[in-house]
Amino acid sequence: MNRSDRSRTARVHGAAAAPARLLLLALAVWSAGCSGIQSAVNPYGPQAERIAWLWWLFFSVCTAVLLAVTAAVLLAAFRPGRRHVESVPPEGEPRKQRIVIAATILTVLILVMFFAADLRVGTRMTAAPAAEARPVAVEVVGHQWWWEIQYLDSSPDRSFRTANELRIPVGRPVVIQTTSRDVIHSFWVPNLHGKIDLIPGRVNTIWLQADRPGVFRGQCAEFCGLQHAKMAFTVVAVPDAEFERWLQAARRPAPPPRTPEARRGEQVFLQAQCSMCHTIRGTGAWGRVAPDLTRLAERRTIAAGTLPNTRGHLAGWILDPQQVKPGNFMPPTSLDPDSLHALLAYLETLQ
Amino acid sequence: MNGTAAIDVSHLPNLVSGGRAPLWWAMVLLLAIEGTVFATLVVSYFYLRMVAPAWPPPGVEPPELLLPTINTIVLLASSVPMYIADRGITKGRSRRLLVGLGIAVALAIVFLVLKVVEYSGVSYRWDDHAYGSIVWTIIGFHSAHVMSLVLKSLVVGTLAWRGYFDGRRHLGVQINGLYWHFVVAVWVPLYAVLYWAPRLLD
Amino acid sequence: MDQGPDLRRAAADEHLELERTWSSPCGLIGWFSHVNHRSIGRRFIVTAFVFFLLGGIQALLMRLQLASPESGLIDPDTYRQLFTMHGTTMMFFFAVPVMEGFAMYLVPLMIGSRDMAFPRMNAFGYYVYLIAGVVLYGAFFLGMAPDAGWFAYVPLAGKTFEPGLRMDFWATMVTFIEVSALVAAVELIVTILKQRAVGMTFTRMPLFVWAVLVMAFMILFAMPPLMIGSVMLALDRTVGTHFFNPAAGGDVVLWQHVFWFFGHPEVYIIFIPALGMVSSIVITFARRPIFGYKALVLSLVATGFIGFGLWVHHMFATGLPYLGMSFFTAASMLIAIPSGVQIFCWIATLWDGRLVFRTPLLFVLGFLVIFVAGGVTGVMIASVPFDLQVHDTFFIVAHFHYVLIGGAVFPLFGGVYYWFPKITGRMLSERLGQWNFWTMAVGFNVTFFPMHQLGLEGMPRRVYTYVDGLGWDNLNLLATVGALILTLSVLIFLVNVAISLRSGAEASADPWAADSLEWATGSPPPSYNFHPLPVVRGRYPRWEKAEGPPVVVIGLRGDRREVLVTQTMEATPDYRSVLPGPSFAPLWLALAATVAFLGVVYDVRLVPVGGLLSFAALAWWHWPREHERTPPWKAGTAS
Repeated sequence: MNRSDRSRTARVHGAAAAPARLLLLALAVWSAGCSGIQSAVNPYGPQAERIAWLWWLFFSVCTAVLLAVTAAVLLAAFRPGRRHVESVPPEGEPRKQRIVIAATILTVLILVMFFAADLRVGTRMTAAPAAEARPVAVEVVGHQWWWEIQYLDSSPDRSFRTANELRIPVGRPVVIQTTSRDVIHSFWVPNLHGKIDLIPGRVNTIWLQADRPGVFRGQCAEFCGLQHAKMAFTVVAVPDAEFERWLQAARRPAPPPRTPEARRGEQVFLQAQCSMCHTIRGTGAWGRVAPDLTRLAERRTIAAGTLPNTRGHLAGWILDPQQVKPGNFMPPTSLDPDSLHALLAYLETLQ
Repeated sequence: MNGTAAIDVSHLPNLVSGGRAPLWWAMVLLLAIEGTVFATLVVSYFYLRMVAPAWPPPGVEPPELLLPTINTIVLLASSVPMYIADRGITKGRSRRLLVGLGIAVALAIVFLVLKVVEYSGVSYRWDDHAYGSIVWTIIGFHSAHVMSLVLKSLVVGTLAWRGYFDGRRHLGVQINGLYWHFVVAVWVPLYAVLYWAPRLLD
Repeated sequence: MDQGPDLRRAAADEHLELERTWSSPCGLIGWFSHVNHRSIGRRFIVTAFVFFLLGGIQALLMRLQLASPESGLIDPDTYRQLFTMHGTTMMFFFAVPVMEGFAMYLVPLMIGSRDMAFPRMNAFGYYVYLIAGVVLYGAFFLGMAPDAGWFAYVPLAGKTFEPGLRMDFWATMVTFIEVSALVAAVELIVTILKQRAVGMTFTRMPLFVWAVLVMAFMILFAMPPLMIGSVMLALDRTVGTHFFNPAAGGDVVLWQHVFWFFGHPEVYIIFIPALGMVSSIVITFARRPIFGYKALVLSLVATGFIGFGLWVHHMFATGLPYLGMSFFTAASMLIAIPSGVQIFCWIATLWDGRLVFRTPLLFVLGFLVIFVAGGVTGVMIASVPFDLQVHDTFFIVAHFHYVLIGGAVFPLFGGVYYWFPKITGRMLSERLGQWNFWTMAVGFNVTFFPMHQLGLEGMPRRVYTYVDGLGWDNLNLLATVGALILTLSVLIFLVNVAISLRSGAEASADPWAADSLEWATGSPPPSYNFHPLPVVRGRYPRWEKAEGPPVVVIGLRGDRREVLVTQTMEATPDYRSVLPGPSFAPLWLALAATVAFLGVVYDVRLVPVGGLLSFAALAWWHWPREHERTPPWKAGTAS
């Protein structure tokens, strides 16, 4: 290679470097989603994996189709050396006809392939899990703007309620029966499966499974009123043994508070308006229109995925929920600082 | 006009009747719209029936048959004088038009009165349950159409009485007739659905 | 090339008489009595673009709110009104009316007629549209805008969860505007079937006219179910019926079936006329006849039919049986075939055309790429498993904006640049047009392409904010930047229109050397459109050489408004229809109907009052006019 060739090569490389760097940057930005905790392209279980497979099939073929059509459009517009057809000859344009027919047939074949792939994934997705897989039975009831979760058991006294955080065992299917107490909501945890609508007057069932441990975020996906945007939930997938231990513990009512401050806090809870709406199993609080708080302290978030579960956020939420989620049904509670601290101390014991 | 051939249409008529007239086609299309409306109501009836555990709901008897069947015959009968009126005026018989219109309107009013009698005696309202809602709505929609038949025919009748229609100009009568026959004909499937389906489809 | 009928050769005083007969009154009061199709068509177009701007501002506000997480710019109550009004405005008050407006304006010209079949009904349709929009926006500015989404799912849209008047306004005004669309549909069908020029058989009809015919039939069968649905919703909300109340035997999903049975054809109602515009532009700017006319017609009709069989794909997450849903998967994939055929035919036409790279063609090229991008995501979401992930997320928002903006708005803008000289007599600036196109193409993609990713990464739609740390921030910011570029594009368009109306280059009758009949008369056309009337002897009457001298139609009276009605199949002269002149009857009927509709919102007793007023208005409308009281054969004048 002589010098001018080398410099030309260098120039070509230089010219290609900038777009190549841009492309890499774009890929980096785009691929950030591939590790998300609320992402359909970051599957953690068989249902989401099947769907992700289908997505990548669709994506690759459709991108190729779009590129081909774009190329055809650009060629049709800009190709040189064309012969302008002013009027169609009596015998028509048979070569073009053949090409258009071929393109149409190719379209049909692609659609048939898509349909076949879709049926394959769909039938597997909707097939109920085998009983040997020891499915966990859960009921999810949608409320404006929180999730009521009930772990079902064949003996009703072993069933219990919680809210806004779903703990599931790795490797076992979770069969979720869903309904709603008010308007239509939609239960969606993208890392594990597609969504199912929660419809008042109906029970819709879905099953999902995590194959690896992880913490995922789910969110309501059907507009349900003012605070639809802040109706999220957490799914925590833990190894089976840990799950069974947790299940045992969660069945038990809340332990009586040990410290004087926590005892005082329990009194604050029962005497303020809290018990009118909330339940804490093991106390006299049996309100059913708001989330069950028996396991509040172990949750990662509060207010249905809106705030991290820390003392400060919890205090702010209790004092004025309308600041955080304007329009939600929890009224502000005025507490003097001592009572507030006692209450928070009590709530921290709920796990 | 040099070098241009001309088709002269000045001899063509200004008034036509039946399918040659755009207005006739507009009425046919309106009937397509109305037909779709009633079809939607019927489909909704069967949809609600399908999701209901019992239809009619417990405590509600299937609707009575005698009065509505008589009423249906009254309404079907009203198509006859309307048809005679329509044929009559195409031959220039304006008296036949007036008499036919009058009898048809009278029969339609009888239908409406009997409907009111029937539904003042029914044991449920539209706000009791979904069954009540759909039945009252279907009856209400159809009766509103019969009412509009009466009002429309009164206008046509007034014009007829003033000698407006004759053997050549009678498109308005034909269009009125089309609408009339449609409202009568659409009652037949509605009658079958409301009064016979709860009995036969169990 | 055959020049077609020569206006100059008819006698000058005949033109004067026709001008007097067909002109519309001036002045503010007179404005309310116009019935000419071009006057009403222009009103539809201008009013629709006003709503387009309003809907665009709503979108911009939403994008500004979503540009950063936990933004406090817009509160949740305002936000839900914004997204509801944006959807309702764009779908009901912009997209369908603007296509209707172009149809009303162009169809009589393209078929060589002087007006539409029922001019007063045309005007009535406009007043209903205008009143519905004014009332809805009145509610919006009074803080009572509907807020349950443009498809108003129950129970959220019911009285329990929406106790105020907001959703009553939605239900009634949506029903009201459907009356407007239905009336326009009936009229367009009858006009196309009965008033085509002599010799214009169906196979010689311009593709735009075919598209309008398919659109009109779709309106006829798609809108009535929604009327029933919104009546049911209004009844549930006002008199306590239980159509959608599961506690009393009703069903929540019934609403979705009824709504989407309308809702899916609705998007094709918007999209199909745009396809007609594409064909018109491709023919003119490739300077050659279209490739595959029959295939294009069949594809339009097939799309119209299949479009009615897709609606359940909006309900894949509602828990319906999988086997039943698969049928709708198949249908939703099937409809890609006629769309594909049309794309191939247009590309084949451009392939050896002599392309004129003006703004209309640029918008068509943009359409071809952007619509296909939207179409392929449409095929993806036809699949139930995949849709269960992306349903109700920003992936869907991306999809439908790609097909609606790419598939309808781009051709529409191309159509505006194409037909602006015909409508106004002036050319739009080509330079500003190119800026308009490029900013729109770039701005659109920057706004909506990232949304595919956002949906896959879990961002649902209709959210007024989102939490930090999910990785959605950059893409949302990028989308907002795109929205600003789109805003710039629309501003350029408005400036272009404003400047060109004032001082744009004057347009000749046929500035594009196009073919269809609207270019055979002045820019803008005289009030009587054509004199003498054209006769058509081929599919491209002004490009193809026909044998013998050109043929025209004479003999319509000049002292009253007459149009030629031709036989439906053979397009031979049949009779002369006498049309009404300016009239206030359409306005009275529209106002009377408004009383009835507002009665549903405010006071049910007004409903029968409005009904009786409407009856009176209708009776007055149809009462014979002075010159009709005595039939011609009795008055002794020639018929």
